[in-house]
Amino acid sequence: MESYPAEYLFTKSLKGFFEEVGQLSRFAARFFREVVKPPYEFKALMNQSYIIGYKSLPLIAITGLIMGMVLTIQSRPTMAQFGAESWLPGMVSISIIREIGPVIAALIFAGKVGSGIGAELASMKVTEQIDAMEVSGLNPFKFLVVTRVAATTLMLPVLVIASDAISLFGCFLAVNLKGDISFHLFFTQVFSSVTFNDVFPALIKTFFFGFSVGIIGCYKGYNSVKGTEGVGAAANSAVVIGSLAVFIIDMIAVQLTSLFN
Amino acid sequence: MEDIVAELEHLKKSFGTKDVLKDINVTLKKGENLVVLGKSGSGKSVLIKCLVGLIDPDDGKAVLFGKNISELQNHELNLLRKRVGFLFQSAALYDSMTVRENLEFPLRDLKDQDKTDTEALIREALKNVGLEEAIDKMPSELSGGMIKRVGLARTLILKPEIILYDEPTTGLDPITSKEISNLILEVQRKYSTASIIITHDVACARITANRIIIIKDGIFIAEGTFGELSSSEDEWIRSFFI
Ligand SMILES: Nc1ncnc2c1ncn2[C@@H]1O[C@H](COP(=O)(O)OP(=O)(O)OP(=O)(O)O)[C@@H](O)[C@H]1O
Ligand SMILES: [Mg+2]
Repeated sequence: MESYPAEYLFTKSLKGFFEEVGQLSRFAARFFREVVKPPYEFKALMNQSYIIGYKSLPLIAITGLIMGMVLTIQSRPTMAQFGAESWLPGMVSISIIREIGPVIAALIFAGKVGSGIGAELASMKVTEQIDAMEVSGLNPFKFLVVTRVAATTLMLPVLVIASDAISLFGCFLAVNLKGDISFHLFFTQVFSSVTFNDVFPALIKTFFFGFSVGIIGCYKGYNSVKGTEGVGAAANSAVVIGSLAVFIIDMIAVQLTSLFN
Repeated sequence: MEDIVAELEHLKKSFGTKDVLKDINVTLKKGENLVVLGKSGSGKSVLIKCLVGLIDPDDGKAVLFGKNISELQNHELNLLRKRVGFLFQSAALYDSMTVRENLEFPLRDLKDQDKTDTEALIREALKNVGLEEAIDKMPSELSGGMIKRVGLARTLILKPEIILYDEPTTGLDPITSKEISNLILEVQRKYSTASIIITHDVACARITANRIIIIKDGIFIAEGTFGELSSSEDEWIRSFFI
């Protein structure tokens, strides 16, 4: 077995990292070039939005519900210590809308949709289906990548809104486990504490989450290496890198919002 | 000279340390069926992929309809590619689409075609390969030979001027093989297409070939008609035809 000095391995992996980032950026740039260029693939976009949006809705809804409930149940004792139980709806709803709802939904989205896109495109690549589109003189990038990335970018915000709503409902259920609050009063409390500054930045960042999950899944699948391992590796790294990207974007978004406030 | 439709000049390609194609020169004339023979792994599939720009050669050039494809813009290359049919060795059917949608796909950019025309074209293409009843099936429901034939139908549907067949009869029974070989011949006669046919099937080569070349160790080692090569002095060459 050969052994390499540590700094060699370090520079090598660092170089690989920057190469990968460069290629991914070029891939994303190609997306922006092609998305504005006619002909538009409306039918394929609708189809992808249906697959991507509708089919991940149940999973995202269930996690949203559980999250809303758990968060409420966990926060109650602390709030009770300060005699602030009546703030529970307001506090939980702010943390859901601002942070937890978008991030959890995006992570689940990366796990379900990102891996699906990665595996699907990788297996199309491996079985020469992408090559076949290319030699037909058609543009597989447009048909396969642009539609999927556009669908993830547009669908994740919708999913997050749904997930937030269901989380709030979960919160309502959990508040009612101990204590009694009417549906009307609960949502009056929620909407009096949630402001535009909570909702708007959170919604904007979900577009970026959706975009990055889509573009990373497509990039990994579209550039997959030969063989069945290639398919598995593409799906796997689509999830890992996609989730990482969600956290990085989230951190940047938090910095930016605090800058503007 | 204008009847040369495709050309490879001094083409070289290696993968890692393996030199697959060392110096390939070939011209394809209008209306000609050129059969390429060679052992498995000798680079036959790589050769035709270089011709349509799916694989970039390390050196040398690929010329389609008089244009060096490496010098073309993407959209120019796509226009040329529409005039070329390519049958993949694996057929490469789109597995999320039905047979009908697979055949529709190459037609999707043709705006002057109306719906009934498309349907008629699809049915005719399937009839040619004897698979009319499979029109609404998914590729996963088809047998290997049926997949190959649908791939062939998809290749022929645009009536290309050049057709590159990668093992069109592999995996088919002798009777169907013969039908496919005759179909290739018929297409050539009817539309005077130029074709490169990669095959291991001697019967197919005999029926379709106007000219045969044999590739070994990255270069062409022999060229001639079926009759000439099958009675060659060289035992290695003759062994292809047994
Ligand atoms: N994308 C690729 N990356 C690395 N090596 C490749 C690639 N494509 C082909 N090769 C190698 O090039 C060589 C020639 O492959 P090719 O598919 O052209 O063979 P072939 O003549 O078509 O064989 P067969 O008759 O079995 O189809 C093989 O050794 C193969 O391993
Ligand atoms: Mg081959």
